Amino acid sequence: MVLIKEQIKKIDKSIVEEVVEDELLERFKSCYQCGTCTGGCPSGRRAAIRTRDVIRQALVGLDDDLLSSDLLWLCSTCYTCYERCPRDVPTTDIIIKLRNIASHRGLMKGPHLAVSKMLIETGHGVPINDEKWSNLRKSLKLTPLPPTVHSFPEAVKEVQTIIKELKFDELIAYGEEVKKKLAEEEKKRAPERIEELEAELKQLKEEAGK
Amino acid sequence: MTESSDITRDYDLYLGCVAPNRYPMIEASTVQVFKKLGINLHDMKGASCCPAPGVFRSFDIPTWRAIASRNITIAEQDRRDIAVMCNGCFGTLLEANHLMNSHPDQRTETNAILEKVGRQFEGTVKVRHIIDILYNDVGPKAISDMVIQPLRGVKAAVHYGCHLLKPSETRPWGKDENPTFFDDIVEASGAESIDYKDKFMCCGAGGGVRAAIKDVSMDFTREKLSNMKDAGVDIIVDCCPFCHLQFDLGQVEVKAMFGEEYRFPVIYISQLLGLAMGISPYDLGLIATKDKPPGTPPFIPTEPFVKKVVEGM
Amino acid sequence: MVNSDEEPRIGVYICDCGVNIAGVLDNDELREYAATLPNVVKSERYKFMCSEIGQKLIQEDIENGEINRVVVAACSPRMHENTFRKATREAGLNEFLFEQANIREHDSWVHMRQQDDAQSIAQDIVRMAVAKASKLEPLEVMKVEVKPSALVIGAGIAGINVAKDLGDQGFDVTLVEKTPTIGGHMAQLDKTFPTMDCSACIITPEMVEVGNHPNINILNYAEVTKVDGFVGNFKVEITKKPHYVDQEACTGCGGCSDVCPVITGNEFDEGMKERKAIYLPFPQAVPNKFTIDMDHCIKCELCKDECEPDAINFDDKPKKIEKEFGTIIVTTGYKAFDPSDYTPYGFGRFPNVITGLQMERELSSFGPTVGKPVRPSDGKAPHSIAFFQCVGSRSFQPGMNNYCSRVCCMYAMKQARQYKEKHPEAEIYILYMDIRAFGKGYEEFYEIAAREYGINFIRGRAAEVFENPENNNIIIRAEDTLLKRPIELEVDMVVLSVGLEAQEDATVISRLLNVSQTADGFFMEAHPKLRPIDTLSDGIFVAGVAQGPKDIPDTVAQAKGAASGAASLMAQGEVEIEPYFSVINNALCSSCLSCVDLCPYTAISYDKLANLVTINKALCKGCGTCTAACPCNAITQNHFKVSQIMAMIDTAIPTR
Repeated sequence: MVLIKEQIKKIDKSIVEEVVEDELLERFKSCYQCGTCTGGCPSGRRAAIRTRDVIRQALVGLDDDLLSSDLLWLCSTCYTCYERCPRDVPTTDIIIKLRNIASHRGLMKGPHLAVSKMLIETGHGVPINDEKWSNLRKSLKLTPLPPTVHSFPEAVKEVQTIIKELKFDELIAYGEEVKKKLAEEEKKRAPERIEELEAELKQLKEEAGK
Repeated sequence: MTESSDITRDYDLYLGCVAPNRYPMIEASTVQVFKKLGINLHDMKGASCCPAPGVFRSFDIPTWRAIASRNITIAEQDRRDIAVMCNGCFGTLLEANHLMNSHPDQRTETNAILEKVGRQFEGTVKVRHIIDILYNDVGPKAISDMVIQPLRGVKAAVHYGCHLLKPSETRPWGKDENPTFFDDIVEASGAESIDYKDKFMCCGAGGGVRAAIKDVSMDFTREKLSNMKDAGVDIIVDCCPFCHLQFDLGQVEVKAMFGEEYRFPVIYISQLLGLAMGISPYDLGLIATKDKPPGTPPFIPTEPFVKKVVEGM
Repeated sequence: MVNSDEEPRIGVYICDCGVNIAGVLDNDELREYAATLPNVVKSERYKFMCSEIGQKLIQEDIENGEINRVVVAACSPRMHENTFRKATREAGLNEFLFEQANIREHDSWVHMRQQDDAQSIAQDIVRMAVAKASKLEPLEVMKVEVKPSALVIGAGIAGINVAKDLGDQGFDVTLVEKTPTIGGHMAQLDKTFPTMDCSACIITPEMVEVGNHPNINILNYAEVTKVDGFVGNFKVEITKKPHYVDQEACTGCGGCSDVCPVITGNEFDEGMKERKAIYLPFPQAVPNKFTIDMDHCIKCELCKDECEPDAINFDDKPKKIEKEFGTIIVTTGYKAFDPSDYTPYGFGRFPNVITGLQMERELSSFGPTVGKPVRPSDGKAPHSIAFFQCVGSRSFQPGMNNYCSRVCCMYAMKQARQYKEKHPEAEIYILYMDIRAFGKGYEEFYEIAAREYGINFIRGRAAEVFENPENNNIIIRAEDTLLKRPIELEVDMVVLSVGLEAQEDATVISRLLNVSQTADGFFMEAHPKLRPIDTLSDGIFVAGVAQGPKDIPDTVAQAKGAASGAASLMAQGEVEIEPYFSVINNALCSSCLSCVDLCPYTAISYDKLANLVTINKALCKGCGTCTAACPCNAITQNHFKVSQIMAMIDTAIPTR
């Protein structure tokens, strides 16, 4: 059992500082937890995200729980809450900033790493990676490749230079590394978990016997 | 020709990813419709992914801003404002343009990166969604004047999408939770826009949710489809390739995931207007030619709809 | 007695103000610094200069003849200038030889995180005050007569109480009201929290009393259109709008209204009930006389044929009334927030979304539904009602107000309880963020609402609503923040607990009276704690919601306070005014008359025959506009002479 006292000790303000590095986001400190954001959230109606709670957690700094969970990635960035917040908290931008913080700790989702690799390789997040797409274009009297980075190799280089300058490629590589490490830990932890489960089961049987 | 003569008639057309690489009928129809309206859409050579606001902005804001600004500099060199067909790309390019123009520190930081590829952001062009151009420059009246094949009796579920409207402080139509400008454009074709529950709700694709948490994403779509069905619509009309994909491919996915079947043809606004203006449905990608490869969109055929509304088809 | 013609001998007194100043500044250093300044012969530091001991320090030095100029470095002069002036005067020195250096509001409070910079700013402020003190000249305070008549603007519960109190004391009171009847919003309310007194029952006797009071003259359907003069002697123009019914002749019989064919919404019933174009706002209106609403009248003249006393007059014109007043009390009240523009709540789009004031009218036994609330879509009593709190309040959304309106929590609970009394089986929800039950008996009222009445309190602000197309029910989306769960709640009717905001024409009143408004549009008091009813314009007081949202008891208390403030001025019969007026040297004046045009207080006049410009000392507010504009340097302003200001500027700029 975790004592409440312990939880309170965990509260640290470092994540608040990270969020408000950008002065535009500073308004989130004035959140009064009214729930207008969650109340109108289309994602919250079907999934676990509680925008109000995300803001609250960010404020009191329970970072690890929040950053490693799926919650942040359930926001479809529809900006409904952002438009309605009575305190002018830039809710969606806060979530995006928290995602940045999570990403820099290597906590991106797997499919997002894959999309990022496409961008790094081709300059498109959704590239032409199959002949059928060129053929579809041709069937509509369009050039087989669009006049984007796909038609200009030097443009791809430009995008890649920017990515390298800002170390976005390293960020993605780090994300993959963390992903691997977490998977291994999970594998290692699994036997212990099985032991735990067996112990619990045994206890339950005993109790049932009584 | 449109009546107003003082509007901009040359734009750089920003393509993005989904339109040219998955739903090229959106690209093809937009170019043709704008040509008919007397507006030339020029190639924006070497443009990349915007990059997508829900994903790349979420991972690293400086990278997102730099790549977006690079795209904008292409139009700056061409000395043309940017026309955008996609809500997500519109969001990214508009927001990046706004941040670069209003935050000198961010501009300095990003320009230092752009310098490595021989570019500088100057802040000389505007970013406009094609809906903005159609509504505010051309106008529904001028559009309806060009309609030769009114789509009478067609009940359309208009889907605005999120980033067309929000955050409102940078959007051309201001803060309004119940706008009608897109409906007015759709109705210029002769079709009727039908109100449906949660009309302004997100399609579910954005924010990286489609990529990472598919079931939640599809549940958004399922709810919207169900509300559209309750309202008794014939088609879905949108103005964003990603929403378009979410509704078109999404109906197949919703069936597989939830066992609910919907068969709404999903029509991009320029396909709808093109059809009403008498452009060949084959050229608009509304009826598949024999060259269309298998396993490519539309996944819900639009052909039956076209045959129903266009005489003699 | 100290002679001010002597060389200046300045005493500087540095106040710690507890930790307010000394917690940021090194006051010993500042004292030593002040001692080095020119003409300073004495430099002291004390923890509270405003205390009796602090004042004594100054007085002893004056009485000993050590000093003949006083500088106190402390708080804002707004706070304690009078305290130190009085001390100076009592010690035998002309009070205008005192100067206050504000090192609190202008320094320690605003620079508490930059202590080093704050210290050097304090030195600058003290140095400038000393420089000015060296150039100060003695001045004589002027006295002006105060007329024993009061103008009360706005006749709601605040204005009625002010008028009654002043009238009872024998002052001549003019009560101006914009609408055709007195009574204000309180007359619209059914019951009042927390005691559940019948609002109409307690206000109508007061209305009648004021209406019949020998010392009170009601000018209803009238607006103040011009204000000149100054404390004790305000010259006011009031414009009475045309009633198109002779108010003397009208007997209030209502025959006219019976035959009038025009039907429009009754403002008094928040549009929930109809009225005719010729109307009495409500049966108990005071004065009980009819008015024609010309925006809706079709001039069929049926009323003219019907009226026995022949009171109808279609040629009625606005009338201007001019009168002088000693004091003015502003009690213009509020306007309820209009939720039409906030689309997520559907007001105006969905019939079963109504405002709190509309609910109040529905609950009233002489309201549109005779005290039995129904939902507008089908006229049936709702089984379930949800109240949305903070509508238009505590919000940065465009058009909304940042502040808490203070009464909405209580009125929602009151309405909920009233409805439950009539329909015990009803389900009532209150969606709130914080319940603010701060008044006497309010918390108890809240507890009973929950326990005894079973009202459901949900902690969460409503996010959006939509209508069930089948039955016009309202479906609410919100989060129960305490359960951390999004909820969808279907109810028969929604009541929006709209907040209070400043009247739309508050800005007009503000300009007419030269009374400032705070950022939220309400009138600004002279001091938030110590002078909450005075304004910064002498002789003008403010009471009730015109000053900021408040409930009825607080409004009445303020009204009585304002009456007392005005009465004490008028009872004295004369008032001292500060001698900061401008003085003109006619030998230098070229009669260009720029000052005459520029003076915002019409204090400067020109006698063409004598070719003489004169400045009225009482009208002049000492703003300095003429002084700055005069091309001949012929005008000087007492206590702010060019030499005095230049001394400050010269010493403010570091010598190079």
